[in-house]
Formats: sequence, structure tokens, C-alpha cells
Amino acid sequence: MPREIDAFDAVVPTLLFVFLASLLVQWGVDWLFGRFGLYRHVWHPPLFRLAVFACVFAGLGLISLH
Amino acid sequence: MSAAVQRLFESIFGPRSGEAFAWLRGATLDWLFVAKAIFALLLTGWLAMRFQLEQPGTAMLTVSIVIHPQSGMVLAKSFYRAFGTLIGCVAALLIVAAFPQHRVPFLLAMAAWIGLCAAGASLHRNFKSYGFVLSGYTAAIVALPVVNHPQAVFDSAVMRVSEVLLGIFIAGVVSDALFPQRLGVVLRESVRSQFAHFMVFVRESLGGVLPREDLAKVYLRFVREVVQLENQRSSVVFEDAGVRLRSPRLRRLNHAFMSASTSYQSLHHLLNRLDGAARAPVRERLMAIAARLSAVLAPIESAPFMAPQAQTLSLRLDDLQARLPALIARERAGLAGRADRLDFDSGAELLLRFCDELRDYAKSYVAMAAASAVRASDEPSLRFSHSNDWAAFAWVWLRTAAAMFALGLLWIATAWPEGASAMALGTAFVGLMATFPDPLGAIRTMLVGYVLGTVAGLFCAYGVLVRMDGFVLLAAGLVPFLMIGFYLAARPRWAGLGSGFLLALLTTAGIRNPMTYDALAAINSGIAQLVGVVVAGASFMVFTGTIDNTWLRRRMLKRLRTQLVDACLRPLPGLLPRFESANRDAAAQIVANTRAGSDESRHMLEWSLAAQETGRAVIELRLSLAADAPAQAAFGARIERSLQTLARFYATPTHDTYREARDCLALAMEATRANDALMAQLHLIRLALLDKDSALAEFVEAPLEEAPHAP
Repeated sequence: MPREIDAFDAVVPTLLFVFLASLLVQWGVDWLFGRFGLYRHVWHPPLFRLAVFACVFAGLGLISLH
Repeated sequence: MSAAVQRLFESIFGPRSGEAFAWLRGATLDWLFVAKAIFALLLTGWLAMRFQLEQPGTAMLTVSIVIHPQSGMVLAKSFYRAFGTLIGCVAALLIVAAFPQHRVPFLLAMAAWIGLCAAGASLHRNFKSYGFVLSGYTAAIVALPVVNHPQAVFDSAVMRVSEVLLGIFIAGVVSDALFPQRLGVVLRESVRSQFAHFMVFVRESLGGVLPREDLAKVYLRFVREVVQLENQRSSVVFEDAGVRLRSPRLRRLNHAFMSASTSYQSLHHLLNRLDGAARAPVRERLMAIAARLSAVLAPIESAPFMAPQAQTLSLRLDDLQARLPALIARERAGLAGRADRLDFDSGAELLLRFCDELRDYAKSYVAMAAASAVRASDEPSLRFSHSNDWAAFAWVWLRTAAAMFALGLLWIATAWPEGASAMALGTAFVGLMATFPDPLGAIRTMLVGYVLGTVAGLFCAYGVLVRMDGFVLLAAGLVPFLMIGFYLAARPRWAGLGSGFLLALLTTAGIRNPMTYDALAAINSGIAQLVGVVVAGASFMVFTGTIDNTWLRRRMLKRLRTQLVDACLRPLPGLLPRFESANRDAAAQIVANTRAGSDESRHMLEWSLAAQETGRAVIELRLSLAADAPAQAAFGARIERSLQTLARFYATPTHDTYREARDCLALAMEATRANDALMAQLHLIRLALLDKDSALAEFVEAPLEEAPHAP
């Protein structure tokens, strides 16, 4: 994919869209974990949330830029 | 855990050391917050410089505004702030695009938009209001600096939004992932203490009589707890996935608490009214039944109160509820006179209702504490309704727009190069302070912080930072000043001073990329910002806040009474939760917007209590009427007419409307003679209407016994 995307004549970095998509994925994962009470098995839920987000964003980012 | 550590501490160092430990713990938390805040702020500054953003200072300023000791607060604030920033940025682009060459229409549009945002903020109680203020403020900081070369507005918007969002993101991550102080823990504690205190309070007061002043105090305490719980809930949902799923249950719990506390207060009002010697037998019999309820609550202790106890309690209340009707029938048989029986029926009705609601409350507590997954579908959704005034909305709009426009005109008339920064800061203050109960006092505190911060900022930038080279030294130069600011912000007493200090410090130090030093410009912009704050303060003197504004307060009283009109006339579905929560919200507003302990405050709270009691009785009457088709056919029209006159009295309380409402109610009671249940409920409304100690005292001319109708 290109590094930058043309959105309404403004050049926007692709990573911004990847970032937003990762936020959505992270919200989904967060909801699932809360729904099934899986956070009980996690030592530090906020750190875990952040880590999940970092993994998702890094993964999607690498895929999209390759 | 901390309690256990504290005990350990006491056992080692003696009993007095417990206090020292508590103090030490509080101080540690404060300094932990200071360390986290400084870390977040410097990290943001460093990243902003790495990303080559124009004004790392704006990103750092954002961190200082968003950061809060509790992480749920930060996440909620960040979420709304991000939204507000994006919307404000779009608004700025639109306004600049619409009037690129006309300064007066531009300023008008800007003032109107900022005013609209500030007014929208006044409709909300939690951080949503903050998001509104921010969308006005962002529009100002995006559009005003580029007003002379509008082509640059897009770049300016992108820069400001990037800076603000970076600040929000880092503040959120640092406060949530690094030694978080969870608001969820505070929320759980509030829920627990609300439950435990209410049960203990009921147990201890059920056997006796509470004077009216005590009831008013208790009412205020309940109001505070209800509103606080709702506010915490709306912030914690950002922090904790478990709480987010339980959010409907928390609402249900809060609603159950409101219902139960209303019924309980009504019961006490009724017992207070039965204080004559003639009524003593009725009262004693009611007390005998209440003693049973009190006995059920007896084994509850306040301190270690957990879900299993609530579970047992709800089972015991189930059991009691099954036995209550027989108990009531037995006590009732001992009463001979029709008037006595009527009084007794009303009391019994209240007791039954209270017992039912108490059980409901206990069950909601058990459900809330349960670890099991929650099925969202089977929970009815309850919303917390606010009581809002559109005139107040328009008033805030007018104030903000006027202040903005005045600053804009000053800027045009004097061709003052710093006019834009005066206007930008004025916006922030007029908007933010509009949501404070005492805006003038808050501005005064902030102003002191602001002046101190400006001086500190100048010293920091031109005494310290000029000698520093590179980011590490820049950070080292900033830290001592930031420590002062954040420590002040962490103490509730100094929070206003601290945030003013930080705001001024960071704007005056003006961290840029690359760093530029221009003392003259810094002093000029410092003066401009002070002018902005002063104009904001002046706008609150001209367009006073509710606390100094008789007109708005009178409207508040009227709105309070309108709640009863709604209770009488609005369609039934969803009416009860709406009524209960709007009543609490209105009472909380009275407390916030009147001087504590003044006659006016007391008068308004009296009206609030009267509206609460009568409104609840009216809704219960309408509910039981709606459930009973034959009664509806027989007395529906009569009762409806009576409720209409009652609504008319509350809408415009005069002696005429009062007499009409009273007489109509008497007629309705005459008509429902055959139906004991309806009669008892009408009697409750009538007793409240005839209460000489309530807000209606001035209308109650004739004493109770001489009322035109005595069955």
C-alpha cells in the first residue's frame, strides 16, 4: 500500500488509518475480554490493553507497508 | 490491603502511628501523581520534538490539562477532549473558509460558535461538558493565530490537532498503565458504602421519629451519593471493561436506591404528621410493623459488608414480605375509626412499598457484585435524567459570545498584535468556568495561579532555560517548576491555583521547535492572556452565574415544581426513573447554585422535598390505577381531574389554585370510598398537601381536622 493516501484532496498518512483500525480491533478485544471475564487472569489489565494495542498496530502497520 | 498494612504499622509503632501512616500514604500518592504527570509531560514534549511538531508546548499543555490522579478520569476526559478537538477543528476550518476576508462576520461567527459550545457544556454534568468547551477552545486556537493569512489555516489545524491528540494519548497511556490509581476501586467503595450506610441508617431510624430538619439533611446526603455514583459510573466505563458491562446494573442499583430512599422519607413524613395524641394508636401500630423490618436488618454491620450478606438480606426480606399482609391485617383489625384506618392504610402501603424496594435494592446489589457474565438484553435500560433549563443555556451562550465579541472588537479597534492570544485564553476561561458553581471565585483563584505561573514561566524561560542545551537539560530546567504546579493541582484545596499556575507556566515558557527566546514577545503575550482572563471574569460580573442571578434561580424553582406537573400529566412508561433522577439532579443543582444555609436554599430544598414526596405518591397512584381496569373505568376520570388541578397548583402556586386542588382531591376521595387501596394512596397525596411544616405552609390556612372533607 502507498505511504500516503489522498482523502478529500488532503494527503493523509496510511498509518493514520491503520491506527484507527487498530483502535477498533483493540476495542473489540477489550469488549470480548470484559464480556467473558478474562481480565481476571491478567496481572495488569491496562498494561495488557496497551500491549494488545501495540501488537495489533505494529502488525497491521507492517502488513500495510510491505 | 492498605488497611492491613496500616494495622501492621500500628502494631509495630504504637496506636498513634496509624494516623502518620495514613498521612504518609496520602503524601506518597500525591507525589506519585506528580512524578507520573511530569513523566507524561516530558515524554510528550520529547515525542512532539521528535515528530517535528511546531509547538510542543501545546501538547505539553494538553497533558497538564487532562492529567488527573485517577486514571478513569483521565480516560473519560481524554475521550471527550479528543472528540471536542476534532469537532472544533472542523468548525474552525468552516468558519475561516466562510469569512476569509471579513473580520466582523468572522468574529461574530466565532463568538457564536464558542458560545454555543460553552452553552452545550452547561447541559452536561460529567466530562462531556468538557468536550463541548474544548471544541470551542480548539476552534479559537486553530483559527485565530492565522487570521491574517487564511491559507495557512489547514496546516495550523493539522498541527494543533496532532499536538493535542499526542498529549491526550500519552497522558492516557501513562496514567492508565503506570501505577494506575483506579477510579473503579473508588466506585466499588462508593457502592458498598451507599448500601451499607443506607441499611444501617434505616435500621437505626426505623424505630424512632426523625424531625423535619434531619430529614432534609438526610435527603441531601442521599442526593449527594446518588449524583456522585452516577458521575463516577460515567467515568469508570472508560477504565474498566467489567464495570462497562455492569453499567446497566449500576444504573439499576442507583435507581433502586433512589426509589427506596424516597419511600423511606415519605414514611417518615407520614409518621411525623401522625404526631398528635389522637393519632397515637395508628402510629404505634405502624411502628410495630416497622420494628419487624428493623429486626430483619439487625444483623447488618457497616464495615465489612459484602454480597453474601446482601443475598441473605434479600432472602429475609422476601420472607418478611410474604408475612407482611397478614401482619398488617392483624394490626388493622385493632383500629376502629374510619379516619384511623385510612391513616393506617396509607402507612401500610408505604411500608409494603418500602419493603419491596429495599429487597429490590439488595437484589440489585447482589447482581452488581456477581462475577458472572452479564446478559445485556434482560436488563431494562434506565437513564439518569437531568433537569436542564433552556434559558440558562441561552444565558451562557449570550455571556460567552458577548465576551468573545468584546475581546474581538478590542483587538480590531486597537490593532493589538496580541489580541488573538487574549481572545484564545478568554475563550478557555469563559467556557470552562461556566460549568463551575461559583465562577467568579474560581476565576479569582485561577488568576492568582496565573500571575504566579506567568512570573515563574518568565523566570524559567529566561533565567534557566536559556542556559540549557538539549532536551535533557531542558527537562531538568522545567522539572522544579512543574513539581510545584502538579503538587498544587494534586491537592483538592489548591487544585484551581495549581491548574492556573501550570497553564500560565507552560504558555509563558512557550516550548517551541526549535526553541526561540524573545522576552518581549513572551511578556506581551503574558499581558494579553491576563487581559483575556480579566475579561472572562468581567463577563461573569455582567452576565452573572446562577448563584448571583435571581432570575435564573427563580426559574430553577419553577422547574422544580414542573417535575410534579410532569408526574401528574406525562405518559406513564419510564416516568418513575425519569422523575426520581431529575429530582436528585435538581436538588444537587440547588445545593451547588445557592449559598449554603441561606433561607433561599432551605426554601428551595423544601419545595424539592414536597415535589419528591407528592410526585412519587402521584406516580404510584397512577401506576396502580393503570393496572386495575375496573377501578380505572369507575374513578379514572375523577382522579385524573384531581391530578390536573394538582398540576395546576404546582405550576402556579396561588391560594386559589391551592383551594381548587384541595377540594378536587377531596371530591376524588369521596368518589373512591369503596376502594381502600386507591383511597390510601389519595390520602397520602392529601396529607402532603395539607402539611403545615412543608413548603406549602403558606397555603395551608385551615388545620387538618377542619378541612372541608373528613371521611
